Amino acid sequence: MSETIKHNNRFSISKAFVYVLLSIAAFLSIFPLYWMFVMATNHNSAINSVPPAFLPGGELVTNFTNVVNTIDFFGAIWNSLIVSAVTTVGVLFLCSLAGFAFAKFHFKGKNFLFIAILVTMMIPPQLGLIPQYIIITKLDWLNDLRAIIVPGLIDAFGIFWMRQYISSNVPDELVDAARIDGCTNFRVYWNIAVPVIIPAFATLAIIKFMYIWNDFLWPLVVLREDSSFTIQVALRGLIDNYVRDNGMILSGTFWATVPLIIIFLLLNRLFIASLTEGAVKS
Amino acid sequence: MARMNTETQVQMPSPKKKSSLSEKTKESLSGYLYISPFFILFAIFGLFPILFSFYLGFQKWNGLGEMEFVGFQNFKWILTDPLFWKSLTNTLYMWVIGTIPQLIIGIILAYALNSALIKAKSFFRVSIFMPYVTSTVAVAIVFGIMFNSQDFGLFNVILGWFGVDAVSWGTSEWGVKIAISTMVFWRWVGYNTIIYLAGLQGIPKELYEAAIIDGATIRQKIQYITIPLLRPIIILTVFTSTIGALQLFTEPLIFIGRTYREEGITVVLYLYREAFANLAFGPASAAAIILFIIIIVISSINVLVANRISR
Amino acid sequence: MKKWFLLVVLLGLMLFVVACSDDSSSSDSDGNAGNNSDGETNTDNGGSGDSDSGGDPVELDFWVFGNAGYDVLAEEYKKDNPNVTININEGEMADQHNNLFTSISGGSGAPDIAMVEVSEIAKFMEASDQFYNLNDYGAADVGGNFLEWKWQQAQSVDGSFQIGLPTDIGPTTMFYRTDVMEEAGLPTDRDELAAELDTWDAYYEAAKTIKDATDKPIADAPKLVFNALRDQEEQQYFDEEGNLIIDNVKEAYDYTTKMIGEGLIGQNSLWTPEWGSAMADGSYATMPGAPGWMVGNVKGNAPDASGLWDIASIPEGAGNWGGSFLTVPAESEHPQEAYDFIAWLTAPEQQLKAFHEKGLFPSAPDVYENEEFLATTDEYFNGAPTAAIFAEAAKSVTPVYMGVNYSIVDTELDTAITNVAVEGADPQDEWDAAVERIETQLERQ
Repeated sequence: MSETIKHNNRFSISKAFVYVLLSIAAFLSIFPLYWMFVMATNHNSAINSVPPAFLPGGELVTNFTNVVNTIDFFGAIWNSLIVSAVTTVGVLFLCSLAGFAFAKFHFKGKNFLFIAILVTMMIPPQLGLIPQYIIITKLDWLNDLRAIIVPGLIDAFGIFWMRQYISSNVPDELVDAARIDGCTNFRVYWNIAVPVIIPAFATLAIIKFMYIWNDFLWPLVVLREDSSFTIQVALRGLIDNYVRDNGMILSGTFWATVPLIIIFLLLNRLFIASLTEGAVKS
Repeated sequence: MARMNTETQVQMPSPKKKSSLSEKTKESLSGYLYISPFFILFAIFGLFPILFSFYLGFQKWNGLGEMEFVGFQNFKWILTDPLFWKSLTNTLYMWVIGTIPQLIIGIILAYALNSALIKAKSFFRVSIFMPYVTSTVAVAIVFGIMFNSQDFGLFNVILGWFGVDAVSWGTSEWGVKIAISTMVFWRWVGYNTIIYLAGLQGIPKELYEAAIIDGATIRQKIQYITIPLLRPIIILTVFTSTIGALQLFTEPLIFIGRTYREEGITVVLYLYREAFANLAFGPASAAAIILFIIIIVISSINVLVANRISR
Repeated sequence: MKKWFLLVVLLGLMLFVVACSDDSSSSDSDGNAGNNSDGETNTDNGGSGDSDSGGDPVELDFWVFGNAGYDVLAEEYKKDNPNVTININEGEMADQHNNLFTSISGGSGAPDIAMVEVSEIAKFMEASDQFYNLNDYGAADVGGNFLEWKWQQAQSVDGSFQIGLPTDIGPTTMFYRTDVMEEAGLPTDRDELAAELDTWDAYYEAAKTIKDATDKPIADAPKLVFNALRDQEEQQYFDEEGNLIIDNVKEAYDYTTKMIGEGLIGQNSLWTPEWGSAMADGSYATMPGAPGWMVGNVKGNAPDASGLWDIASIPEGAGNWGGSFLTVPAESEHPQEAYDFIAWLTAPEQQLKAFHEKGLFPSAPDVYENEEFLATTDEYFNGAPTAAIFAEAAKSVTPVYMGVNYSIVDTELDTAITNVAVEGADPQDEWDAAVERIETQLERQ
C-alpha cells in the first residue's frame, strides 16, 4: 500500500509497461479460445475456406444440436464432474497430509521416501497401460468411474507442491507451540497448517481438477460404454474417420470447456478471498 | 466422504488416549500414516506396471502371444536405432524451445500480476490461466488449424506480412518442433504463472516494504527477496516441467498423427509406437527404461543447477 | 477462518453429492446406445434372423467404427428377435482397434462382437485363441455367400479357423471433377473418360494436359495415387510366408514420385483437413483409387459440389482398399447369439441395406446380380450408376495377402512420399531410407 504513496513518473512508466505486458499475454492466451468459439459457430466450409472465418457465425445452435445428437454430451459432462470433483477432493486431503508430514515431521527414512516419490514421477506412464489395464479388470472396474478416480489419487506433484508450500509458509514455531499446547498431530495439521495453506489448496485444486477433466488416454482405455464416458472420451465420438465436421468437433470441444471456465472462476474467487483474508490478518 | 469420516473419527478420540508412546514415536507413526496412502495406492497402480515394464525390457513380446527371453537384445536395438536418437534430440530441442521460455515468462507474469499497482488483476489472472483450462486435444486441434502448412494458415499469413515465405509446419524439420513447442508453451505458461503467483503471495509484504524504506531498486527486490524466497517453488517448476517436457506425448501424437514423422517424434511417442503400432513391447520397454535413466540424470543436474543459481 | 471452512464444507458437499449420484448412476440401466435415427426408410421385408424368438434375454455388446449405419439394422433385428438387445458402441477406427487389442492382451473387457478392418485382421488372427472359430457356429455354410478372396482374408491358412464374417469391400474406381475435365478439354462423360484414361501412361499424359490447360494437378494427394497403383498389385508388401517383398510396389512409388517431380500431383496428406476441404474446391481433377466408402467422405466434405463429381473406372483395372469383418471375441458368453446376429447382418439383404444407407459396398456377390441394386444411381455424382460401377470394379479385384505388419510398411512409405512431395527430397534416397526403417522395425517383431 505504501508504494502508491511514492507514486512518480518512473513508476507510471513501469506501470504502463506492466499493463502492456499483461495485455499482450492476456490477448495471446485468449485468442485461440476465441477462435475455437468462432469455429464452433461456423459451418465446416467457412472454417476450411481461405481466409478462415474470424467472426462468430450463425451455426451455434446447429453445431451444438449435431453434437448432442451424436454423443451423450450432458451425461458425459456429469461423469467428468463426478470424476474430477472426487479426485480433486481426495488429492487435496491426501497430498496436504503427506506434504505436511514431509515438511514438519521427523521420521526415519523421510528423505529417502520423499525422493522415492519424486522418482515415481520420472517413469513414462504410457508403457504401463497394459499391466494397469489388467489390474483394473481384476478389480472389475472396467466402465466404472473408480478406474479413473482411484489411480488419480496418486499425485506425486501434489505431495511435492504441498511439502514445498508448507515448509516455506507454515512456521515451525507455530507447529511447536501447538504441540506444547497438547494438540495431536492431526489437530496441528487441521488447525494450524490447513488454514495457512488455503492458497496452495486452491491452486492444487484448480490444477488437479483441470488435469482429470482433460485426461484422455487412460479413460479411453478403461471406459468403453457410452454411459460411463467422460467428456473427453465422448468427444472422440465426434471425430468420424471419413468426414471431419470441424464446426461440430469444435462446438463439442468448446462447450466441454465452458463448465471448466465456470468452475475455475468459482475457485478463483475462493482463491482471491483467501488471499485478501491472509493479507488482512497479517 | 467415507475417508473424511474415518479421519475425523480417528481424530476425535485421540486426545483422550493416554500417551503411552513417546512424542517422538507418535510423530514418526503419524508421519508414516500420513504418507502411507500414496505408497499403498502407488504399490497397486504404479509399481506393478513398472516392474512389468522392467521385466518386458528383456523379453520379446507382441502383446498377444508368448514371451521369449532375449537378454539385452532390446537395448541393443534401441541404442543402435537412429530414430531413437532422433526422438531423443527432438525431445531435448522441444524442451529447450518450449519449457525454458515458459518458466522465465511465467516468473515475469507472476511478478507483474503480484505487483500491488495493477487494477483488473483478476481479469489478467483468469485470462492468462485460461489456456490450461483447455484440453490438450482441443489445443492440438485449434493450433493444428493455425499451423496449417498452406499459405492461408494463420501463422503463414502472419509470416507473409513480414515477407517471409510460407512454412510447411507439418513436415519440415523446425516447423514441426516450433509448432509443437508453441502448443506446449501456450498451454503451460499460465499454469506456471499461477504456481509462481501462489508462491509470491506467500512472501510477506513487510519484507518489500522494508526494502523500499531501505531504498532498494526493483532489481534488488527481485534478486534479494523474491528469488530466494521463491526458491522451493522454482525448483518445483523446473523439476516438474522438465519431466513433463521429457515425457511429451499427446501434442505430437495429435499434431503429426499416426504417421509418426521423424521431425516431431518424441521419446515417449517412439516407445508408444513401438508398443502399440509395431507390437514390439520388448524394445518399447527397453526405451522406457532408457528414458527413465535419462530423466533421472537430467532432473538431478537440473535441481543442482537451480539450487545453485537461486541460492 | 470462515472462508476456508466454507471451502471445506463445499468440497465435502461435493463429495457427498458425488458419492450418492455415483451409486444411482451405476444402478441405472446402461443399455440404449443412442439410436437417434428413427426416420429410417428401410421397411422392406428383409430376411429374418435364424434364432428363435423365445430364448432368454441376451445383451450383445457390439463395437463399430466408420459410420456403418448398423444401429438401424440392429433395431430391425430386435423386432424379429425380441430377446436380443444389441448395444452398439461406435468410435473412431484406431481407438476401437486399440481397445480390442488391450482387451485381448489383458484378457478381459472385449465385447461380444467387434468390427475389425482388413489391414488389422491379420494381427488379431495371431491371437485366434482369443476369438471364437465361427466355423463352429455354422460359418462354413455361409462362406459361399461371400467373395472368395474376402472370405479367405479372415481365415487361417489351412482354412479351418474363421475369425470373422465379411462386411463391406472397397473396389477402387476413379472419382473426377467434371468441371475441371471440361476446362482441360478432356471428356466429361464417364465412359469416354475411362476409355481415354485406360492406362497409367494415358493418365500421365492427361495430367500434363490438365496442368497446361488449367494449372491444376490431376490429383492432390500423392499417397492416393500410390495406393491406387499398389492396390492393383496381387502381391504388395508381404508374401504368404511373411517375407518383405516391397520391391513389388517400387513401380507404383516411382510413378508417383515422377508425377510429384513434374508438379502433376499436389501435396496433401490423406485425412487432413486440407485434403478434406480441397474436395469442395475443385482444385484438382481426379481422385484415383477411390472405393465405395469414399462416396460418403466426398459428400460430407463437399456438400455443395453435387453434380460436379462423377465416377469412372480406374486405369488398368480395380484393386481393393479397405473393408471390414465382424468377429466374436472368446470372452463372449453368447457366441451363438452373437454369431446369429452377425450372420444376419452380413447376409446379402442386409448388406444391400447398408449400401443404400451408407454406401458400404457389399461383399456378397449375389447382390451384384440384383436388379434393384444395379439400378442405383447417385444424383450427387452426376447421376452415375454407382452400384453398377463398383460391381464392375469388384469383379477384377484379386485377393491380396496383407500380413501382420502391413501398416508399419505403409506408414513408412507414406512418410517417404510426403518427404518427396512437401520437402522436395530425392525419391531414391527416401525409398532407401524407408526400406531401412522398415527392416529395422520388422526385425523386432
